[in-house]
Amino acid sequence: MIESLLRATLLGLQLGVTLALVATGLTLIFGMMDVINFAHGALYMFGAYFGLLVADALGSFWLALVIAPLIVGAIGAAIEIFSLRPLYGRNPLYHILLTFGLAIMVQGIVVQVWGARSRRIPAPELLAGSVSVGPVTYPVYWLFVLVLSTVLIAAVWVAIERSDLGILMRASAHDTEMVDALGIDVKTVFTGVFVFGSVLAAVAGVLLGASRSVHPGMGFGVIIEAFVIVVIGGLGSFKGAIYAALLIGLVIAYGALIAPALTDLFIFALMATVLVIKPSGLFGTTEAA
Amino acid sequence: MRSVTDLAGDLRATVGIGGATGPAGEEALSAQGRLAALVVAAVLAAFAPIAQAFEPFWLNLLTRMLVFALLALSLDFVFGYAGLLSFGHAAMFGAGGYAAAILVREVTSNALVVLPLAALSGVVVAGFIGWFSVRAKGIYFAMLTLAFAQMFYVIVFTDLPARLLGAEAITGGDDGLFGIPLYEAVGIDFTSRLLYFYLALVLVMLSFALLVRVANSPFGRTLQGIRENEERMRFLGYNVRRYKLVAFSISGGFAGLAGGLYVPFQSVAQPGLLHWTISGELVVMLLLGGMGTLWGPMLGGAFVIYLEERLAEFATWEIILGSVFVIVVIFAPQGLAGTIVSIRNDPRNALHNANRALRNYIEKVRG
Repeated sequence: MIESLLRATLLGLQLGVTLALVATGLTLIFGMMDVINFAHGALYMFGAYFGLLVADALGSFWLALVIAPLIVGAIGAAIEIFSLRPLYGRNPLYHILLTFGLAIMVQGIVVQVWGARSRRIPAPELLAGSVSVGPVTYPVYWLFVLVLSTVLIAAVWVAIERSDLGILMRASAHDTEMVDALGIDVKTVFTGVFVFGSVLAAVAGVLLGASRSVHPGMGFGVIIEAFVIVVIGGLGSFKGAIYAALLIGLVIAYGALIAPALTDLFIFALMATVLVIKPSGLFGTTEAA
Repeated sequence: MRSVTDLAGDLRATVGIGGATGPAGEEALSAQGRLAALVVAAVLAAFAPIAQAFEPFWLNLLTRMLVFALLALSLDFVFGYAGLLSFGHAAMFGAGGYAAAILVREVTSNALVVLPLAALSGVVVAGFIGWFSVRAKGIYFAMLTLAFAQMFYVIVFTDLPARLLGAEAITGGDDGLFGIPLYEAVGIDFTSRLLYFYLALVLVMLSFALLVRVANSPFGRTLQGIRENEERMRFLGYNVRRYKLVAFSISGGFAGLAGGLYVPFQSVAQPGLLHWTISGELVVMLLLGGMGTLWGPMLGGAFVIYLEERLAEFATWEIILGSVFVIVVIFAPQGLAGTIVSIRNDPRNALHNANRALRNYIEKVRG
């Protein structure tokens, strides 16, 4: 009992912190540009598939973990410059249509190029096997995902809270016009944030691609999880996204212990409860009710 | 952050379609528009037997287009008209669909009994979702509707009712319910595709007329007022939440009706009806068609279904469909309704306008 509970906790934290990588991009992009980015899940999926491609071609998981996010970052830049940028200043509702269209496109491309069947990125041999964590035997790879994701999230946290770039990002999110008036090229900041979010999502895609399966529906699957996280945390709140991601990871893991089929129900019930009590989310600042 | 309600207002301002939208107080659908709607209905009615004779497949497609036109109409009433962005309309669509499936299989295939009950189940589900959701505004309202709708999806997908009641199958879980017979009513057997098409056409036109009527009623004006300035309406003493809830429930009823029409026609009810991607596609239909006009989204709905059907034979249909959405949103942001109105008002400059849009795009990309 204690053992399975502990195992679920570890698993939940691991899933949560990796989902936080996906949710971070989503919430930053929303906070800054008011863009509800339905294509974010597609970028996560691209990360997994390019990871698969690189891992197959070069035979190295580590190269996949570095190269795939770079490719996806470039794709993110192209998406931002050629499709989102012409829409700034227009009604953000259009972004729903645009990014929904992009997500459908990417799904089509993935089916076309890689086929519809489900696959898995081979985890590196270095991380094969299991270790004992207290009374629990736990796969080394999952532990690696937990540690790496935590390190990345911590780094992002420090970057956003402490660095000049992070201050610029938050300022642009807070008052775009003012930052623009101060002579800073807000457009480039936007592109940068979008690329940054894309890269993080792609890293999560590669990491989870070796523990969950890689299939064409994964983009639309993760986007809903990420939305729930971002909404529970409060739209645009980075801190909120991380706490909510951990919460959701744990709900998924514990839910799998209690009633595996109903985990999604628990997630949405949690989201509904939070929103009914505090409509702007846990760390939301904007007035919603 | 701006609220979605503001955005809906902006969007109408950019579209600037006279008669059909405009500021609060204007008639929904001008006399000219009514005539156009009647002409479209008459043309469809006349075309149906021809389609039946030459290409029965067309009749199938047209019926599905009608169902989704109705569904898009229901969403436009609550989003375009009352300013509430629902991201959970698939739940009401599915509720109507499953209600129809269960009733037709277990009780009666009389359309006069089943269809009202399908609509009613849409009202009930919308009432439930709405009761919680109207507490929040804008994008949070959208997310609440999404959350509750997904809960219904999970309930249907896992066949929770059967688990709780110990029955073998109620929603049929993952597989859904199939082999659902078609309707009959007042001695007419709707198993003929042609008759079913007429049934759908009549119901869609009636729903359209009814919603236009509601939109023009004092109730509709109040909704418009809430959309334009919620605070003011509250100060004037209106119970804003109650109005929103009623509007949402009415809309849910029409979505349920669409589900009730769709499921026997397809002869299956599967959980996919309630999936959030249907709600997402609906929003796309609205934006493509031109929201807030009531008729635009109907065109949008029909157009998207048509595209999906035509493209289904290509292996790359998702890529093409996605590209169409992207191109429309960048180059024709007013949607079909806006483009039609703009070409009607100014046919000579259509080419010039297209050229300008392209130059505008390049300029914006350069920054």
